[in-house]
Amino acid sequence: MSNPLKKRFWFFLILTIIMGIFASVTIPKSPYFAFADKTPAKVIHVAAMQFSFFLSEKAIDRDKPSGQKIELPANEVIEFRVTSFDVNHGFAIYDKSNRLITQTQAMPGYVNRLRYKFKEPGEYNILCLEYCGVAHQLMRSSFIVK
Amino acid sequence: MESIKLKKITSVWIIAVLTLFVASIVLGILMRLNQGGVLHQAPITFYSNMTIHGITMIGIWFVAGMAGINYLMERYVKTSYTANLIALILTVSGVLMLWAVTLIGKFHTAWTFLYPLPLRVMWAQWATPTFLVAMSILATGWLIWGISMMTQVLKVYSIPQVFAWQHFKKDPAVKTPPFILISMITLVGVVTCLLVAVLLMALYFAEYFSKGNFVNDALLMKNLTYFFGHTIANEMLYLGLAVIYELFSEVGGKPKWKTTWYVALAWNFTLIFILTAFFHHLYMDFVQPEGFQIAGQIASYLASLPAAAVTVFSVWVAVYRVKIKWTLTNLLFFVGVAGWVIGGFGAVIDATISNNIVLHNTQWVPAHFHTYNILGNVLFSLGFFYWFSIQFTDKRVSEKLSRLILSLLIIGGAGFLLAFYIGGADSIPRRFSNYPAEFTTARPLANIGAVFATVYLIPILILFYNISKRCLKILFSSS
Amino acid sequence: MFKNIVLLLLIFGFCNFADAQTTSTALKEETNIYERVYDAPLQVVGQESATFDELYAQRPVILALIFTRCTGICNPFLVKLKESLQFKDGDDSFRVMVLSFDPRDNLSDMHRLAQNLGLEENEQWAFAITDSISELTQSVGFDPVWDSARRQFDHDALLVGINREGYITKKLIGLRERGDLDLLTGSINNVFVPTYRLQNQNMLFSCFNYDPVTGKNKPGLGLIFLALPAVLTASLLISISILVRRSRR
Repeated sequence: MSNPLKKRFWFFLILTIIMGIFASVTIPKSPYFAFADKTPAKVIHVAAMQFSFFLSEKAIDRDKPSGQKIELPANEVIEFRVTSFDVNHGFAIYDKSNRLITQTQAMPGYVNRLRYKFKEPGEYNILCLEYCGVAHQLMRSSFIVK
Repeated sequence: MESIKLKKITSVWIIAVLTLFVASIVLGILMRLNQGGVLHQAPITFYSNMTIHGITMIGIWFVAGMAGINYLMERYVKTSYTANLIALILTVSGVLMLWAVTLIGKFHTAWTFLYPLPLRVMWAQWATPTFLVAMSILATGWLIWGISMMTQVLKVYSIPQVFAWQHFKKDPAVKTPPFILISMITLVGVVTCLLVAVLLMALYFAEYFSKGNFVNDALLMKNLTYFFGHTIANEMLYLGLAVIYELFSEVGGKPKWKTTWYVALAWNFTLIFILTAFFHHLYMDFVQPEGFQIAGQIASYLASLPAAAVTVFSVWVAVYRVKIKWTLTNLLFFVGVAGWVIGGFGAVIDATISNNIVLHNTQWVPAHFHTYNILGNVLFSLGFFYWFSIQFTDKRVSEKLSRLILSLLIIGGAGFLLAFYIGGADSIPRRFSNYPAEFTTARPLANIGAVFATVYLIPILILFYNISKRCLKILFSSS
Repeated sequence: MFKNIVLLLLIFGFCNFADAQTTSTALKEETNIYERVYDAPLQVVGQESATFDELYAQRPVILALIFTRCTGICNPFLVKLKESLQFKDGDDSFRVMVLSFDPRDNLSDMHRLAQNLGLEENEQWAFAITDSISELTQSVGFDPVWDSARRQFDHDALLVGINREGYITKKLIGLRERGDLDLLTGSINNVFVPTYRLQNQNMLFSCFNYDPVTGKNKPGLGLIFLALPAVLTASLLISISILVRRSRR
């Protein structure tokens, strides 16, 4: 192999190895199976619609949607079952310092199950992160972790 | 005769693209100023502007790439003027309809028109069907153009030759120029994603006219939408790269780049990765089959490898300690490639599923794709536009002005983008017309973004004036 | 654990019986999830008495609540359950516990029921009674109403999935097909699936259709739609190449 080709080959090989390491380290950390083998302490049903969120410990009736104030235990696995009644929305949880900590999409016709363990007590905010129309920026909710 | 017509129509494309680019940048600056609290637009106006800003930007840089390769392709094969003209007429019609739909009809689904938003009519009744028709018109025009160019290339090169497979052997008899290889690979991707768009439109029309009897599946529609959207955005970048492979060395006074076995290999693989990377838009849809999610991450990572190992490396080798004649053209190309590489880092970070959970739909996303565009793809095309405009006159942009243009592009671009990157790191959501009070950095960042975008606009206006003047001359000359 | 081929899209069969009520039963099913079932002392036909926790710790349980004097849904419900579970014959990852909530039922009534269903010798099925009826039914959200005119209980046809730790993982109401039962047995074995379709969601465009009998995913229409444009483009490429071959010479 000529010298420039060798250089190119090494460059490519190093890049490939770095990416391979990245991929193998990060793929198992994907959120789809977070806490999959644990039994959650609580299930919270979430229904998103233009332009509000309903959160409830019981499943939410599309014809008479209603929510309730949610209080969650700290350091326990919580499962959110998220769906939408109309268009795609996002269910994004922000902590007290306005950091996005986890999220999932709310797609009409499907339920996404998001499991998370809240370590810090306090109030957490929910914002809609999938553009859904003229009041997308106003959609919000919150819950308390005790 | 043919080449005169081609010259003129290319001039028209260039002027149209630059005009729409300036208009679109202005809309973008207004958006940032609204987010910064300096302007007070009604949300519906903000979101309609956002919609047409996105559609226009993707549309114009796509056709800019197509016009570029059409023009250069004439060096190798005869291209069809008719197809080019049809595309121009249909593009202009489609774009005008889309401006009407958004600015007058207040259609505001965002450029990604994610199902079922277009069918939830929160705007003028005529806007939804007009939108669907306009998109279909664009898809038709671009399909005709793409297939026509493919046909013309295939008249001269066989399929194995067009994909440069013969370069895997030593000393092939027929050599495939890199430009033909890349153009063809890109056109295959372009035609594929336009066929996806056709399918998408068919499903939309079916539901629209069924009056509730036929309802689409939201997951399939999202897959199709991003298959189309992601792919077209990437292909427009590769159209620009095809131009670079053809012109970079020529403009610098160096021997032309040749296709080697690794160039052929890299670009052939790129085709596969480009068509499967779009899954990375659905990471947060846990509904999606997990195999597709992983395929998305792997394809997204892999897509960067041939690009880095071949294009970037080749550009680097071509300039490192090499005496090149630097002109505005190849400087724009070079800065564009650098911008593209930087955008690539942000992309790989976001394409990692475990990062995506805290980056998805934050400002990291516009940070990344605006990097690819304003400091990447746009510069590729501007390089071509400038090069084209000076082919037929003697006047050049002075070295001083070139330096000014580049500095302002880089400074304006970098500042504008940094505001987005910092916003993403701060978890600020994207596509919000106004920010909730708790995001204290959001408004200042938006205003900073607007200021730097204005800085970026200045050299664009200079180039707009400069290049359009020459293109108008070409258009109205008798030869 | 992470699965490479996701099962995600399931065939929800037709709830023939409960079709009209699908929305409301779906809502009722989503109660008591991850709560613990009451550890009632059980008398089991043909076995030693045990408390519920001793049984579910050995093998996760699908609890079916019936009463033997039922003239309504109980018998069709159990017959349908037996039929639908045939594809899981010999599967020892779960046990079906048929429990009476009627204080009048005794062990020989349950034995007769098992015989009538032909499930006396079936290792997967257990038939039982308990003294702690109300604590148990309350813990699973089951609320039978006594109709004194007909001398019958009005109640849901309820299946409750209980995992090895005694947590209720899933409830199904009504006569269900294999797909749902497969989900149920999966849930009690702590198989986590990050998503599910809502009932009434059309399945025409799934990318994969899961067959609970074979346990495999078959490609669906959606996958064809995704692959079609690339296939069309490749065909276009080849066709054009052939058509213009002459001019290339």
